[in-house]
Amino acid sequence: MGNFAQLVILGLLAGGVYVAVGVGFGLVWGVLNIVNLAHGALVIVGGYITWQLFTAYHLDPFLTLPIDAVILFALGYVIQRGVINRVIRAPLLFTFLLTFGINLIVINVLLLIFKSDFRSVTPSYSGSGIEIGPLVIPYTRLAALAVALLLAAGLAFLLNRTRTGLAIQAVGADRDAAQLVGIDLRHTYALTFAIGAACAGVAGGLISLIQAITPTAGEPYTLQAFVVVILGGLGRVSATVLGGLLFGLIEVFAQSIPGSGSVYANAIAFGLLVLVLVVRPQGLIGRLR
Amino acid sequence: MTGFRSLPDRAGQRWRRIFLVLGAVVLVYALAAPLTSLDAAQSAGLPLLADKLWFRIATIIAMFVVMASAWNIIGGLTGYAAFGNVAFFGIGAYTCGMLVARAHWPLFLALTVAPAAAAAFAALIGVPLLRLRGHYFAVASLGVSVAVGEVIQNLEMGSKPVFGGASGLFLPIFRSDYRDLLFFYLMVAAGALTVGITWWVLRSRFGYGLIAIRENEEAASVMGVNTTAYKVAAFALSAALTGLAGGIFAQWNVFINQENVFPIEYNIQMILMALVGGAGTLFGPVAGAVALQLLIQFLSGSLPISADLPFVPADARPIVAQVILGLLLVVTVVFVPRGVIDFFGGQSRFSLSFLRRSLRETSV
Repeated sequence: MGNFAQLVILGLLAGGVYVAVGVGFGLVWGVLNIVNLAHGALVIVGGYITWQLFTAYHLDPFLTLPIDAVILFALGYVIQRGVINRVIRAPLLFTFLLTFGINLIVINVLLLIFKSDFRSVTPSYSGSGIEIGPLVIPYTRLAALAVALLLAAGLAFLLNRTRTGLAIQAVGADRDAAQLVGIDLRHTYALTFAIGAACAGVAGGLISLIQAITPTAGEPYTLQAFVVVILGGLGRVSATVLGGLLFGLIEVFAQSIPGSGSVYANAIAFGLLVLVLVVRPQGLIGRLR
Repeated sequence: MTGFRSLPDRAGQRWRRIFLVLGAVVLVYALAAPLTSLDAAQSAGLPLLADKLWFRIATIIAMFVVMASAWNIIGGLTGYAAFGNVAFFGIGAYTCGMLVARAHWPLFLALTVAPAAAAAFAALIGVPLLRLRGHYFAVASLGVSVAVGEVIQNLEMGSKPVFGGASGLFLPIFRSDYRDLLFFYLMVAAGALTVGITWWVLRSRFGYGLIAIRENEEAASVMGVNTTAYKVAAFALSAALTGLAGGIFAQWNVFINQENVFPIEYNIQMILMALVGGAGTLFGPVAGAVALQLLIQFLSGSLPISADLPFVPADARPIVAQVILGLLLVVTVVFVPRGVIDFFGGQSRFSLSFLRRSLRETSV
């Protein structure tokens, strides 16, 4: 039973990262109807900004998170306003391929700048943690979970309680009606993507604390963000939080299966994904659209 | 995937004729050049027009012609954004590999089973997956391709890997004096078969049903198209042809593992080729596959005519090549969203007014 509790704690901690990665991805998908294949690459950009600030200026990694968010917000705004807005009404394959092209560019520019070496962010407190029985919970992972939940709460507040957020939701619900009531579509689209990218930046900062990063380290996160968003359901921040934590739990429990549980991580994740899609396409608590 | 057709005007028809003739000339040369490597041709004093490198590149191009055209059946004609067709390539490769390496079947017998295995798998997963639409189908099919690769690499029975495990699967080398020639023509034959089948589909009741599904699935269903059966059949057909290419690749390359027969980027490349060329058309994916594969080979420095890229040190070249590919992808999607075939063949697509109209249609 102690083992079970241990796995639950580990699963929730792993889920924190997935929540952070998932919320931005889910926002862009839900509102813009774009599956952003460059999301993982943007996450890793955030990771490199944190790494750069930490190694060059010895800034505390958690203090770099707002900087990650601001830089990626600007980058996201430019990408959407300059490029994606031009094909947003084209069939979905085109936005798929477009974001894949952006993914390719971002990853390879990172490769040119930072090379493919593993980089890790190791502040003085990275080794220490709380001991609960036999289990040691690193402070960084605990803080990462807290930051992820705060990020999700902040995003939910922004979307549901501010004029900007309501405009974003209106655009997501009905583009033409939103335009009729005077919402600037181009700006709102760009803003939505920018907020999604900012979330990705924060997620990247957190990830750089947890694992060593390379320019290609973001690719699995794009795929996992899919699963997380679909698991919870599209269209709500709370659904993504649920999906992310659940995905973390499933991953940790699957890896604890004796034998070859760990090598089937992707197969389990995607098996689950297909199952959810076929049985309950709206996700656990999502809205069908 | 709607509204991709337009009737060519007279200037467009002239362009189309010019490109068809040019294409035919290039095709005849590409198909005949390898024959000069035969002993008989060499002793007759013909110049050697094809070396090992040429064979390698030409065979890869033919392989992508098969994959892009096969994708076109499910993605271009039926309008289902399949993002996991590489699963069928890998299944075809492993089926052929296991039959030849472990069961010692002759190659050509194994090559008939490889497409059948891929098609059977496609039919099996197609029934649940093809109920999904849009992004959901795309993501689910992508997931299947990742999962299948992982399972094939890791599946063990009594702690022995079933399919060769992480170290991959070696096939016995196919003994023939003209190995390169044989596999080139085999792959070209697969390409011709794929184009031929697409040609037949485009003219058949089956094909009209698929196009009806693409344009409006509910309406197609009301008109009496058995949409589930049609979609699954199109998916299985696409899978069978992709599996055939995989089977040929396995014997040609002699060594297969998860990385060389389940690469995620093939998923993207085959779609990109079909789209650049013109999805839903007969020759669009073929032209796209040839052009893009040549470009990819050129950028990565594998072509004999490769020039140095300015300002780029040699070791950074593959990375810069990827950046250029990404930029090209972005430019293609934004400026030529209807494919190059349509670009050349339709109304005057060179004009600025067309570009403006196209951008107005897709942007906000």
